[in-house]
Amino acid sequence: MVREEPKRSPEVYRQPNSAENSENVDDLFSPRFKSVAAMAGWDEEALIIASLVVEDTPDRQQSKRKKRSVLISSTPPCSTSRRKRRAQRRSHASTPIAPLNLDEEEQQISKQGDEEEIVVEDEKKTKVNEPAPLHCMDKLREELSCAICLDICFEPSTTPCGHSFCKKCLRSAADKCGKRCPKCRQLISNGRSCTVNTVLWNTIQLLFPKEVEARKAAAGAECQSPESGTRSGTRRTRTRTRIQDPALAARLQREDLARLVNTRRGGPARQQRDNDLSRLVSTTRRRRETPGQDGDAALALRMQREEFMEAFRGSSGQNISLARANLRAMASRAINRGRT
Amino acid sequence: MLGGGGRSSSSSTTAAAAGGTWVSTTSVSASRKRIQREMSELNADPPPHCSAAPKGDNLFHWIATIIGPPGTPYQGGIFFLDITFPSDYPYKPPNVVFKTRIYHCNVDAAGNLSLEILKDSWSPALTITKVLTAIRAIFTNPDPYTPVISGVARLYLADKAKHDEIAAEWMLRFAK
Repeated sequence: MVREEPKRSPEVYRQPNSAENSENVDDLFSPRFKSVAAMAGWDEEALIIASLVVEDTPDRQQSKRKKRSVLISSTPPCSTSRRKRRAQRRSHASTPIAPLNLDEEEQQISKQGDEEEIVVEDEKKTKVNEPAPLHCMDKLREELSCAICLDICFEPSTTPCGHSFCKKCLRSAADKCGKRCPKCRQLISNGRSCTVNTVLWNTIQLLFPKEVEARKAAAGAECQSPESGTRSGTRRTRTRTRIQDPALAARLQREDLARLVNTRRGGPARQQRDNDLSRLVSTTRRRRETPGQDGDAALALRMQREEFMEAFRGSSGQNISLARANLRAMASRAINRGRT
Repeated sequence: MLGGGGRSSSSSTTAAAAGGTWVSTTSVSASRKRIQREMSELNADPPPHCSAAPKGDNLFHWIATIIGPPGTPYQGGIFFLDITFPSDYPYKPPNVVFKTRIYHCNVDAAGNLSLEILKDSWSPALTITKVLTAIRAIFTNPDPYTPVISGVARLYLADKAKHDEIAAEWMLRFAK
């Protein structure tokens, strides 16, 4: 999956106005929507990106980011590029980390190493020198597991004495067994306010993606309600207009987007997008009986949300309310036009 | 929504409010999980001269054996121990009781041990493997200064040969 995607995605992003993509735009958006979008100042590129947002899996993001960093360094900065702003924004937000399959890589390397001593990178060299890759992985697992739950550390927190445990485990230990390090019995000054050791946590997520996912799933078993991403999306949008606190609204949106991304992780990306779009259209179609325009309206809502996020991140204070009012007006215009 | 509260920064207030009831249910499954992990670890890499396994279906009730270490009066004896895990296990120590009678200043007639790590010095980072190793260590080095049977401790300090003789006699009688 990781190998196939980058071939397609950089093209899309490098040449947004190529024939193929303009065809795509024609397929995806009705002319009326496009005219509205033009009024709102959304260029085709932005539309495509907005329609692709849903299928942004972490793998994809990573490959895109790599490519983009190359692009940015080679081309002069251009301030109007929306996708660049998006890229910057994304790099600031805490994105889920793409899993790294060490096992597979190591196996491949060890196979190579037997026949021809080709070593591509220094990093790989050390792995080749390792006696047994699986043994190395076991050692890492042992090293990165929490002494309290004996599992891989989940959101590890490090004590002042340098020992790391799951944040939850450490907190329970401090509550129930006194504020001493479970490993060395040194006093933990503030067992309550433990923070996650981000470097360690990211490392663990990279090395043991399966375990982390399982743990997350176990933790959020009740969280995942059966409602579809589209439905929750529209519902959220509705609530958002009522919510006055911009921070809360932004947070809800972030959650929303994260959920949209998460629920779609795992399948082939192109199919996902098609599915998503068709579902987007069909759900709205069922509600009201005007086919093309309703899909547009839903997309407009999403665009509005996107735009709002950007506005919120970029500016502060009164600009937000202004931008929000503006966008709401645009979206309602789009919907109304669709109806007439 | 409930589960999401714990792991993400975007936890809602409802998750925090309902957290109290939820934690109690997870702690049992957490200790269950931890005990299962210990079990698989014990099977994979058992400590020398020790064994431990759940007694029947109850994961919280184990039976352990320790073989008397060589060079001690307990050499060759097989000592059975009962281990009961509390429901909030890694945070509270397991209850370890000798089922086999032993002549030792740190083990009373009912089989209760005076081992600091099983009482106030318990740490959630300790495992059954470590506990068994610690018990095996007091076979070789009894602690006569914190005894449960002061008579045995006194004899140990005053006349170690006599103490060892009685201990070996008890071992032959109860632990063979």
